[in-house]
Amino acid sequence: MGRSIWKGPFVEGYVLKKAEKARESGRNEVIKIWSRKSTILPQFVGLTFGVYNGKKHIPVLVSEEMIGQKFGEYSPTRTYYGHAADKKVKRK
Amino acid sequence: MARIAGVNLPTGKRVPIALTYVHGIGSGTAHKICQELRIPLLSKLNELDDVQLSAIREYIAANTMVEGDLRREKSMNIKRLMDLGCYRGLRHRRGLPVRGQRTHTNARTRKGPSRAIAGKKK
Repeated sequence: MGRSIWKGPFVEGYVLKKAEKARESGRNEVIKIWSRKSTILPQFVGLTFGVYNGKKHIPVLVSEEMIGQKFGEYSPTRTYYGHAADKKVKRK
Repeated sequence: MARIAGVNLPTGKRVPIALTYVHGIGSGTAHKICQELRIPLLSKLNELDDVQLSAIREYIAANTMVEGDLRREKSMNIKRLMDLGCYRGLRHRRGLPVRGQRTHTNARTRKGPSRAIAGKKK
């Protein structure tokens, strides 16, 4: 089920503050955030966020098409290197 | 033979069934078309006259997206996700289920036929 419209999109407060600050300072630095569950808002477009994936902050340059999705969608939490050609043939 | 929405040629079937041969028209849309154009549900496609056929064609052109256009839009949507670098796009690239299904077992529709694992034998 989707979120009620009257609540508006969910964004962690500190994300808004940090984004505001970055916007004012004008420098395009990576804004480190841990809130993967926050929605990407229109005013974030053009900013770069470092979205934490549990290990490090993945830089995400927000583009217009990303609006409405969550930050977490752009910072994969799992690494999968594929199956190595199984070391030795295990025999029983 | 009736030609509706390009290349499709469904014939002596009941109209709502025959229309579902068009990519993008399921039984829901097909029944709706029949209802709005006052075509009896039990009539067959080869019993319709040219006026009714062209009415169907017009209705489809005006109200639905079918065949090539629909396929193009779908693949564009997938391509958009892939270019965006978001999780859903990654799953499409990998050919894995996109909507959070398990992949420990199953997921054969997306993954294709199972591949033999080297050295897994008694």
